Amino acid sequence: MTAPWPAVLPHCCAGRHMLLAQILSNGLMTGLVYVLMALGFTLIFGVMRIVNFAHGELYMLGGFATLILFGNLGWNYYLTVVVAAFGVGLFGVLLQSLLLKHFIGRELSGMIMALAIAITLQAGANIIFGPEEQSVPRPVTGVLDLGAAVVPYDRLVVGGFTLVILAAFWFFLQFTRWGLAMRAVTQDSEMAAVQGVRPGFIHPLAFGIGSLLAGGAGALMAPIYTIYSYMGELPMLKAFVVVILGGLGSIPGAVLGGLLLGLVESFFATMYSTTVATMIGFALVIVILIFRPRGLLGRTA
Amino acid sequence: MHRTAIATAAALGTLLLAAPTYAETLRLGVVSALSGPGSAWGLAVDGGVRIAAKEINAAGGLKVGGKTYTIEVTSYDDKYKAADGVTAATRLIEQDGIKYIFGPLGSASMLAVKPLYEQNEILALVNSYSDKVLDKNTKNIYRVLPTTREFIEPMVKWVKQHKPGLTNVAVISPNDETGWASQALQKEYYAKHGFKIIASELFERSLKDFQPLLTRMIAAKPDIIELDTTPPPTAGLIIRQARELGYKGAFVKIGGPGVPEIVNAAGKDFAEGTIVYVGADASDTKYKWLESEYQKLYPPPMNSFNVFFYDAANMLFESMRKAGTVGDVKAVRAALEKITPFKGMQGTLSWTGKAYYGSDHQLLVPVFVGMIENGEEKVVTKIDQ
Repeated sequence: MTAPWPAVLPHCCAGRHMLLAQILSNGLMTGLVYVLMALGFTLIFGVMRIVNFAHGELYMLGGFATLILFGNLGWNYYLTVVVAAFGVGLFGVLLQSLLLKHFIGRELSGMIMALAIAITLQAGANIIFGPEEQSVPRPVTGVLDLGAAVVPYDRLVVGGFTLVILAAFWFFLQFTRWGLAMRAVTQDSEMAAVQGVRPGFIHPLAFGIGSLLAGGAGALMAPIYTIYSYMGELPMLKAFVVVILGGLGSIPGAVLGGLLLGLVESFFATMYSTTVATMIGFALVIVILIFRPRGLLGRTA
Repeated sequence: MHRTAIATAAALGTLLLAAPTYAETLRLGVVSALSGPGSAWGLAVDGGVRIAAKEINAAGGLKVGGKTYTIEVTSYDDKYKAADGVTAATRLIEQDGIKYIFGPLGSASMLAVKPLYEQNEILALVNSYSDKVLDKNTKNIYRVLPTTREFIEPMVKWVKQHKPGLTNVAVISPNDETGWASQALQKEYYAKHGFKIIASELFERSLKDFQPLLTRMIAAKPDIIELDTTPPPTAGLIIRQARELGYKGAFVKIGGPGVPEIVNAAGKDFAEGTIVYVGADASDTKYKWLESEYQKLYPPPMNSFNVFFYDAANMLFESMRKAGTVGDVKAVRAALEKITPFKGMQGTLSWTGKAYYGSDHQLLVPVFVGMIENGEEKVVTKIDQ
């Protein structure tokens, strides 16, 4: 069942480097999506101190937006992704202002509230769209043959989109007043408030941006995977692992953690099995939590 | 005044007492998933039985031993759950006094009601993929649907005959009881017919990114990737991702049907040529009739399981005619056991199972080999067993 190195390679076409190149490209493409999920998750935690367990359901909403706009109404795919991302972002702002704003800084209650939202959204989607997995046609087909590895074009599109979003996000945080305010709140919310940063504005904004990233990820991945009410559970779990690896609340940590997890998983899933890969992911979490609880790039509390 | 009241009561009483003697009724029960996730299959049990009953009633009723019976079907929902299955079966047996029951469909529900059927000597025509449903002590329960064990061998033989160049097989199955059992069978029968199993993989049902797993699998150079009991949308994803990674070999799916979902997830081009097990030939005119009848009961699409239960109901009616009674369940059962080979809707049906299950209570039905052509399921051949 699990074929280790030697058992695989004698069969393999062009040897070890070729397999490694494929592992690398698979891992990178998966890792970029993890980054997209983890960024929003860690931003929300950093700013609001809320562990957003509904993050996976925001991803799911992005997926269903693609099903409706692109799959049923026949919109342009790229327009769909942008509209889905901003739509879910707006939904996030509503969630924050109506339900989650009462739990800022109260980690446990906030987590339970987020969990309740997650289950409600899942059940709602299940009632409206049914339990079956659905598919939308792929906007891009074909593969890029690099010789040593192949990369499907649709994954490249996702990768490209992710890089653009990452760059925009980084620019926003570094060079805009709102970004500066957000970083200030992350570092010390009280001092930020003293300096005139209004939490009533920054909190929904951060939650909205986090939701936008998750919704965008869901919309991007919808044609690649299948769309169903529980589709957000796995990405949510991965985002959780990534932010523990990178450091809860750390943006560079989310990027590093996401790529690292993508590559590690790809390696172990290819060499052994996906179950082993999942296990290794969580084993990393255990090790990090024991020896470096603030994560690879997290700051001390 | 007083006398009028008594007279009226007497007249009414006579009417009520007299009514049953004019029209005999044969009551059948159905326990099945009529709502919830399992209902696509569950409604097929109810649909098949109701359509068969309606057909007989429309032709003047069921004539048995000089009497004519109108068939009445009572169905209760088990929601695919064991507890609801027991409630439904108990209601049918104790409140309604019904002796003939179709279903349940889900294994959990079926295993839970099994002792009820046996103790009350209910003649039950059921479905469940669990091996535990039938054993050497089974008396009153008959499985009318094929499981992987019944259709795998003719399918594998067909692949061997018609695709002689292919030898290396990689099997991929979900990592749970269904997948473990079916994968073991796949390995057994592919090996038995001269194929070489070069890889076998189990995956968690939540997995959607198969690239790592397929990278390894394709490195072992399979000629066939067998998709086994993988759910259809996931099977489609696997086909697409394997093709994108450069896999040029064949795909075979000897497991549950679901071509539209496979094509949706894989894309028309990638799904082309996939060999699939098909439960019933949907291009058949009788099948089309069944579909139109089903539409009068439930919203389409109709599941192919309808065929199995339509046939099962007709087998039961024929057994009653042969036995000359509907009241003597034992006599009907004896007739049922001797009724095969029976001409079903799409081929010959016969009892089997002694060698493996310990009793001949498993129905063998025709197997259809299908191929995906231009995004549609096309039946290539019928194999009568």
